[in-house]
Amino acid sequence: MPPEDILLVIIMSALTLYAVLGGADFGIGVWEFNSALQTTPSERKLMAKAIAPVWEVNHVWLIFVLVLMNTAFPTASAAISRALWVPLLLALMGIVFRGASFVFRNYTDDSVRGQELWTAVFAMASTAAPFFLGVSIGALASGMKIQADGSFDGDYLNDWLTPLSLFTGFFAVGMCAYLSAVYLIREAHVAGDQEQAELWRRRALATGVWMGVLAATGLVLLSAQAPELWDRLSERGWPILACSLLLGFASLLAVAWRRYTWGAVGAAATVATVLWGWGVAQYPLLVPPHITVETAKSSPAVLLASLYATAAGAVLLLPSLAWLFYIFKWAKSTTAQPPLEKRGEAAPAGRSK
Amino acid sequence: MHNLLLAEADTLANLLPARLQMAFTLGFHIAIAVLGVGMPVLMLFAEWRSLRTGDLIWKTLAKRWSKVFTVLFAVGAVSGTVLSFELGLLWPGFMAKFGGVIGLPFTLEGFAFFLEAIFVGIYLYGWDKLSPRVHFLAGIPVAISGAMSAWFVVTANAWMNQPAGFGWDPVSKTVIEPIDPIAAMLNPATAAQTTHMILAAYMVSGFMVATYYGWRRLRGDDSLYTKRALVVALWLGALASPPQMFVGDWIARMVAQTQPVKLAAMEGQFETLDGAPLRIGGWPDMETRKTYYAIDIPNGLSLLAYHDLHAQVKGLNQLEAEGNPLPPVPVVHIAFQIMVGFGTLLLALSAWFVWCAWRKRDLPQSRLFLWGVVKSGPLAVMALWAGWTVTEVGRQPWIVHKHMLTSEAVTQAPGIWWTFGIVMAIYAVLLLSLILVLRTLGRIPLPTGIDNPKKSKAENARAS
Repeated sequence: MPPEDILLVIIMSALTLYAVLGGADFGIGVWEFNSALQTTPSERKLMAKAIAPVWEVNHVWLIFVLVLMNTAFPTASAAISRALWVPLLLALMGIVFRGASFVFRNYTDDSVRGQELWTAVFAMASTAAPFFLGVSIGALASGMKIQADGSFDGDYLNDWLTPLSLFTGFFAVGMCAYLSAVYLIREAHVAGDQEQAELWRRRALATGVWMGVLAATGLVLLSAQAPELWDRLSERGWPILACSLLLGFASLLAVAWRRYTWGAVGAAATVATVLWGWGVAQYPLLVPPHITVETAKSSPAVLLASLYATAAGAVLLLPSLAWLFYIFKWAKSTTAQPPLEKRGEAAPAGRSK
Repeated sequence: MHNLLLAEADTLANLLPARLQMAFTLGFHIAIAVLGVGMPVLMLFAEWRSLRTGDLIWKTLAKRWSKVFTVLFAVGAVSGTVLSFELGLLWPGFMAKFGGVIGLPFTLEGFAFFLEAIFVGIYLYGWDKLSPRVHFLAGIPVAISGAMSAWFVVTANAWMNQPAGFGWDPVSKTVIEPIDPIAAMLNPATAAQTTHMILAAYMVSGFMVATYYGWRRLRGDDSLYTKRALVVALWLGALASPPQMFVGDWIARMVAQTQPVKLAAMEGQFETLDGAPLRIGGWPDMETRKTYYAIDIPNGLSLLAYHDLHAQVKGLNQLEAEGNPLPPVPVVHIAFQIMVGFGTLLLALSAWFVWCAWRKRDLPQSRLFLWGVVKSGPLAVMALWAGWTVTEVGRQPWIVHKHMLTSEAVTQAPGIWWTFGIVMAIYAVLLLSLILVLRTLGRIPLPTGIDNPKKSKAENARAS
């Protein structure tokens, strides 16, 4: 396999991990938004505990995708940056406010006003970020006026808004919500909170059914809006999409039968196969309609250097990552710990009266 | 043709807001990110002391600094994400042409940041899940990878000052083979610039933390807790300051060799002179081509830049006549004065502190010292911004020294002034919230077993 293809596989894998891990972190905020910001403190506690140690790590997958794209396929990267100027900026705003509001909420005092304010910001930003990232993918799929050299001669403000892009935006938000609901059943179950496990089970089942309906609609929309991508999908992407459908169904069954770890694995695999189905169908096109892997790739020296750097980095990264997830997601917690900031030390002075 | 002209007009109109937005978001990120490099050193030192002595004060300090660090790390992570997007969004021309050549340090920086995020997660949420020893060891990669990511990112900037590691076709202005990403990363500016930045990160962290505890002491908090925190923070700043002076000399000689225009602008040197003076202060007048109101130290510049009293220093006039476009000279000159001036003040403060620590085994008793400590953090941050202004504005109008103009790199998207305004507003909100949250953290009373400082005691009494 030539180095550019290996790098593309690495980029796709990183994007997949971002979707199944980072997506679930966004999903938490989507649920807070979805429940009209009326989540109970115990729900919020479970959600915060689930993502607090890992959300920043999960976020780095996006940075990783970005730097590898910039390095390995600079023309494609620049073309995407130009054409998707507006939705990417909006996604960026979501990312900024999600991260900031999450720590601010964790470390602000317990006053109701402060908590409510940051919760609202967190919920909206967590929904906006995956929405606009999804919109960006959909906009590319529906064909922007991007030239072979990466220049863009369409309308910066309006061209990204297409029926398909809006659909992919909503679909991305739905996927995040589904992922986090399924993961949270397991989190609640491990923490011994059966009541919440049931709540999230109900939510996961309902979202799963909705996502199935949405996926079917999406295929119809795709055939109408992106005929070229549709042709490629029906030519060679369809086995993966079929897997996706089966896996989605299987993960729902697992949730229904209370096999929560399998449910979580199945949900992640569903999302992964959706992404890979799209990737395989589009290959070797990187940015429709003209820019391919071949025309966008960097020089061989750069590709090899990135490849070696990635291999060397992975030697350090993967064991560390495994340890992090082992500590917080696998090792049996001795007792259910309250969040760090509520422990040991009293409430902030001045507010305590 | 018409379209092309239109595009050119867009480009020129976009240049100023895009540069302002980049400067503003970089300035915000740098000020936060340096604390992400230096704070782990402080918190690990405190934790190490707590492991050795079992003293509650050290443990409390380690825990509290780690919380402050979490908040700063999160804000630094999101503001850094903004930058990684902005490279493409604001400067697509730059990324399309050179993204590959300087991709390696960005990729490696991605890994360093990854490791930092992983161990930050383990460190912050692992207090009760890991043994004290393992917990301490898990913090060490945070400090290392923080410094490493600073190193990698600054190599990319050093490359913009001293582009290397690629072939160049001057006619078509394109990158050609052979491309050597390692040579690009290890360009001639890398060593001096990265060392300068990492030392600056430790200085800013030390002095910023010292500012807070110095302020508490000035307000009458004479607890051992505050004193220890202050002393540790001051040691970090004081240890980083003297080597910074030598690195400053190193970087100035490097700039003299490789970017004579930047050096002349830093010094407000219009005429080519053998044995050029070092100018302190002053205002370079672009009309009359003279620098007014400066204190001249005869032969100082030749001595510092070339280690030779009579070395020739090329002036801006000659350099411009040789076909080099000039940067905004007054901005570069003033920024350089600010950096060097504030750096010198910080060095003096450090010397005072170290002298008393050595001779009296105590902090200087004078209130003037505490007053200086309170000012030291802001001074360090301003010196940091000024230094970046020197290196970035001093390179203009180039984005890649002698290879690409900033105007050739900028986006043609509409509405850049709007996004700049929105970004300003967002960052203002972020900064305000950050200050509020840090204030809340500072108000949490110390756990029982440590003397609560007098001030908080009085506050507590009033509150109850």
